[in-house]
Amino acid sequence: GAMAPGKKITARIKRTLPVRGPQAPTLSELMRWYCLNTNTHGCRRIVVSRGRLRRFIWILLTLSAVGLILWQCAELLLNYYSASVSVTVQFQKLPFPAVTICNINPYKYSSMKEYLSELDKETKKALETFYGFSEGKSKVRRSVEEWNSTGGEFFKEIPLLKFEEFSKTATDLYTGQKRKIEGSVFHKDSSIVNSGDSNDIIGFQLCDANNSSDCALYTFSSGVNAIQEWYKLHYMNIMAQIPLETKEKSSYSADDLLLTCFFDGLSCDKRHFTRFHHPLHGNCYTFNSGENGTILSTSTGGSEYGLQVVLYIDEADYNPFLVTSTGAKIIVHDQDEYPFVEDIGTEIETAAATSIGMHFTRSRKLSKPYSDCTETGADIPVENLYNKSYSLQICLHSCFQKAMVDSCGCAQYAQPLPAGAEYCNYKKNPNWMYCYYRLHEKFVKEQLGCQQICKDACSFKEWALTTSIAQWPSTVSEDWMLRVLSWDKGQKINKKLNKTDLANLMVFYKDLNERFISENPANTLVILLSNFGGQLGLWMSCSVVCVIEIVEVFFIDSLSIVMRRQWQKAKKWWNDRKRDRPGKAPQAGDLERQGHDNPVCIDEDLPTFNTALQLPLPQDSPLPRTPPPNYSTLRLDTAFTEQLPDTLELGQH
Amino acid sequence: MNLKKYFVRALHRLQKGPGYTYKELLVWYCDNTNTHGPKRIIKEGPKKKLIWFFLTLLFASLVFWQWGILINTYLSYNVTSSLSIGFKTMKFPAVTVCNANPFKYSEVKHLLKDLDRLIEAALERILQPTPGNSSESPSPPLNLRLWHQIPLVLIDEHDKDNPIILDIFESNQTAGGNQTHDTALPALCPQCSHQGSDNCTYRNFTSAAQAVTEWYILQSTSILSQVPLQDRIRMGYQAEDMILACLYGAEPCNYKNFTQIYHPDHGNCYIFNWGMDEEALNSSNPGAEFGLKLILDISQQDYIPYLSSAAGARLMLHQQKSFPFLKDQGIYAMAGTETSIGVLVDELERMGYPYSDCTNNGSDVPVRNLYSQYNTSYSIQACLRSCFQNHMVEICGCGHYMFPLPEGVNYCNNEDNPGWAYCYSSLRSSIRHRQICIDSCKETCNDTQYKMTISMADWPSEASEDWIFHILSYERDMSTNVTLDRNGIIKLNIYFQEYNYRTISESAATTIVWLLSSLGGQFGFWMGGSVLCLIEFGEIIIDSLWITIINVIGWCRGLRQKRVRYPDAPPTVSELVEAHTNLGFQHEDTGTLPRDEPLPPEPGTPPPNYDSLRVQPLDVLGPESDME
Repeated sequence: GAMAPGKKITARIKRTLPVRGPQAPTLSELMRWYCLNTNTHGCRRIVVSRGRLRRFIWILLTLSAVGLILWQCAELLLNYYSASVSVTVQFQKLPFPAVTICNINPYKYSSMKEYLSELDKETKKALETFYGFSEGKSKVRRSVEEWNSTGGEFFKEIPLLKFEEFSKTATDLYTGQKRKIEGSVFHKDSSIVNSGDSNDIIGFQLCDANNSSDCALYTFSSGVNAIQEWYKLHYMNIMAQIPLETKEKSSYSADDLLLTCFFDGLSCDKRHFTRFHHPLHGNCYTFNSGENGTILSTSTGGSEYGLQVVLYIDEADYNPFLVTSTGAKIIVHDQDEYPFVEDIGTEIETAAATSIGMHFTRSRKLSKPYSDCTETGADIPVENLYNKSYSLQICLHSCFQKAMVDSCGCAQYAQPLPAGAEYCNYKKNPNWMYCYYRLHEKFVKEQLGCQQICKDACSFKEWALTTSIAQWPSTVSEDWMLRVLSWDKGQKINKKLNKTDLANLMVFYKDLNERFISENPANTLVILLSNFGGQLGLWMSCSVVCVIEIVEVFFIDSLSIVMRRQWQKAKKWWNDRKRDRPGKAPQAGDLERQGHDNPVCIDEDLPTFNTALQLPLPQDSPLPRTPPPNYSTLRLDTAFTEQLPDTLELGQH
Repeated sequence: MNLKKYFVRALHRLQKGPGYTYKELLVWYCDNTNTHGPKRIIKEGPKKKLIWFFLTLLFASLVFWQWGILINTYLSYNVTSSLSIGFKTMKFPAVTVCNANPFKYSEVKHLLKDLDRLIEAALERILQPTPGNSSESPSPPLNLRLWHQIPLVLIDEHDKDNPIILDIFESNQTAGGNQTHDTALPALCPQCSHQGSDNCTYRNFTSAAQAVTEWYILQSTSILSQVPLQDRIRMGYQAEDMILACLYGAEPCNYKNFTQIYHPDHGNCYIFNWGMDEEALNSSNPGAEFGLKLILDISQQDYIPYLSSAAGARLMLHQQKSFPFLKDQGIYAMAGTETSIGVLVDELERMGYPYSDCTNNGSDVPVRNLYSQYNTSYSIQACLRSCFQNHMVEICGCGHYMFPLPEGVNYCNNEDNPGWAYCYSSLRSSIRHRQICIDSCKETCNDTQYKMTISMADWPSEASEDWIFHILSYERDMSTNVTLDRNGIIKLNIYFQEYNYRTISESAATTIVWLLSSLGGQFGFWMGGSVLCLIEFGEIIIDSLWITIINVIGWCRGLRQKRVRYPDAPPTVSELVEAHTNLGFQHEDTGTLPRDEPLPPEPGTPPPNYDSLRVQPLDVLGPESDME
């Protein structure tokens, strides 16, 4: 109350129109203003604290709080793409999976005889000469004659060799010639070389047709594997030349394979099965393939409500060299999935009831950016050769087939044909076997890049199987069972069935609990922001508003102050030069330095209207000394009240 | 005193008006609130003011939007699962062993004699349809009563529109039978809705084997359901005959350690470690050495030939105190082999309502649990079967032999319930009834599965066969004759794997703590606010309500005064009091107040002393604002 009216007005103006934000004359002033007025805690304490130590501590604390915030927020950001797993169980009516059933033997031996007789003869011959095996005296004699007459076409193509590891020589089992091993040796069967050299190593040699010195040797520790592999190579050659219709005809028909069928307490027949021809397994039959648009479902668990089939496995008509086990292969898969019989089939025994209890699990992964999986396979640069939905298996097979067509010029028999390609056979592609083995070697060693290109699918269905076997038919029921089943089989086969020709299969849901394992994003944007907010609030009581403030003060305002000062400097320098020319002492520089260091003197330096126009400063009027508020300002009333005594005194000068 | 003061002030305010306006209140709020945005609105210049106003609005709406999302997330009751795998000492599962065949044929032969002769004759007819076969003549007359209840027929569907139905025992049709046999026909098993009526439904089979089996099961069910339970138990396999050897870890056990239970499908079943009367056994070591080893005899020679065609033991691992549903979860063990079963306990522990729709003990399921008579715990299989049996009793009037009976109901048989087979078949294939049961039953919250790794080997080996059979026969029958053979003997090893549990347990993904911290995080992130800010805001709302009330009262009074209109009315007491207390009037002469006007707008509104809950006496307020 003791102030003079003029001073009162000045103080009032000071209070109402203080220098704020961009109006702050220096950066330190701006910082001071910021610290006092900001919403964040900590900063204010630096300015308000008295005493160096305390101020230092507060600076340290504030800085560490900022550091902590940055660290924690970075952590939050880095962990943003993490997923949490949830498992739900739902009890409901479940779709019954597709069940694909194949006979282990692909084609009836009797109907393939005309194509394979030559090969078989030679194989038998080989067995006889190499191992002294003979099926019967009379046959031996006959085959010896045949041997002479046919002349071993297949052995000329791919000779079977007996290797001696030490001398590095190979004996041709057919001609008896010895030769030096050239090229690299691949141990197809045993990757670890047998230590005992007494063991004969059997194998065959595949040479590049164009360059006969480039050969690869495939060796096996046992003749069983060597003969089978050798047979298979020729077999695939022959099969590749036979048209599909013939093959389908010479394989098993649905009537042949399926004796009885029972699903969900009702009879079913071959109309419920879809045929599909597998290159290595012949005709396979898929139950509930969903081909006609309806997918059967189960609403009761338990063996009597599942699929029960009795299969007729005609053991007598098996190819003795191609397959050495008896039974059937089954695969439980989704309707959209391709059944990879050769890879994941479950084999079932004859003369037994195989009961397969299923438990259904569905899984779902999150795709990018959470994990590297693919939803549909559309983003993978490998053409899907199979007419089914994407799976890793399909991708790998397609990828290999593509590489095969690219480098060998023909397609491998076991996989579907790409457009415009045809299956390999050595009439057209004499070099294919060598090429195939080389390529397969590369594929296994992951040199083809297929394993890198192919990703796993994001969602998959899995039926966990519990397989158990019972004797079937039981000794007491065997008699009537076989009689009735023979009657069922009908007129086509006029013989009584043997129990080793039959296999009973039951596939059912153990329970109708579907487990669904899914990944969910652990974080959403909302939660991330909440966590940011929590961190900011915990350490500094900060918010987005503070962030805007910081941007405003530290970038816009500071920049404008720096710019303005530079501008003033430049102007001053310009004026000084002008003044210098008449020859005046550069006193202004000292003044300026003073102003820089001493905030009290700031006002002296400020370019006011008067100084700009170089008018003489009026002595008594206090008003002009306060910089006029150029634009109406951000003003927090309390801003300068505490330290303003200095500024107020300035007015009293 | 304070109360009185307060009332005086309230009265004063009512008479005088609120003392501050909405705008002042708002400005005061913006200036003093702890929320970050509003302060800037009033502190900045006009352009920035606008920006800050919109920013604040934007942030506030963002906060509310995100709060909505968070609350929604919370109310969806998500769960997160955690998985743990390892080995720990666990309760060894209960092991139920049964014979695939329910009764000893030697014991039930007298009951099934007629039926067997009938089916043999029928098979004879089917397989060798030529009349005048020599094998027919010597047999005693067949009991065709059973046959007529559910006859087995052949249907010639050669002509789709007029299928020819041939009863196998109708002799006049045999000529036709000959012809039809050439056209490879399906065998059918019909069931009439009522005996003797023409309204028959035929159940088609594509295979005679199935038709015969199904027919036999229906007939034998009807016969056996009339036999009292005690007799049925006696006709089944006895524990001492079936369980030849038992070893649990290093401890010997015998058939007495097994609890007998009668299972309609499999006759007498024996449960090891059921935990009904005694404590469940623990197993603290993995491996076959520490598991259960059993040697069973299924005596295959004594099987009922037409009832079960598969031979072996049926076994199942399940939880203590739960009923073994062998048809669903059971596995076979083959005769003449050693079956090793490695067990992994796969548990799923779920949270109940509202996180997932499961039940803890089945008490909230609207189906009467018929399996509770065994003192077993609730399971979904029990619920479904009870549901089916309840439907069966409701619709067919009798209970099915395969499931337990509700009180006061009998099992179905052909004598008392002639149409039961038809009723049962239609009920069984009714999708609607199944769906009702699926909908009304709930799964249990703790789902335990025993994952089995099954492997088999031939047992006994040829070299050891002789002495093993000898010893086992001696121990069982006390005779030196070998009474066992390869077709009947089964060895079982059941043990924990190296990792014996895999537990998936659920926990709530969003708790109330999570919700609060997320809400706080959002509010803090956008506006630096807290619960206190909300209270502040609420306070302002109350204040503005107070202003409104005062204004409304004032306006009403003004209206009344207008109506009365005393131009020269003396000043009211309140006006006088007000004149004394109103700070705005202090420097002026109170006496010169123009009386005819109600009151001039307050010249200098006192600096908003807007704390509405002003507790200091009014006089104290003066000096502060004096400065202005």
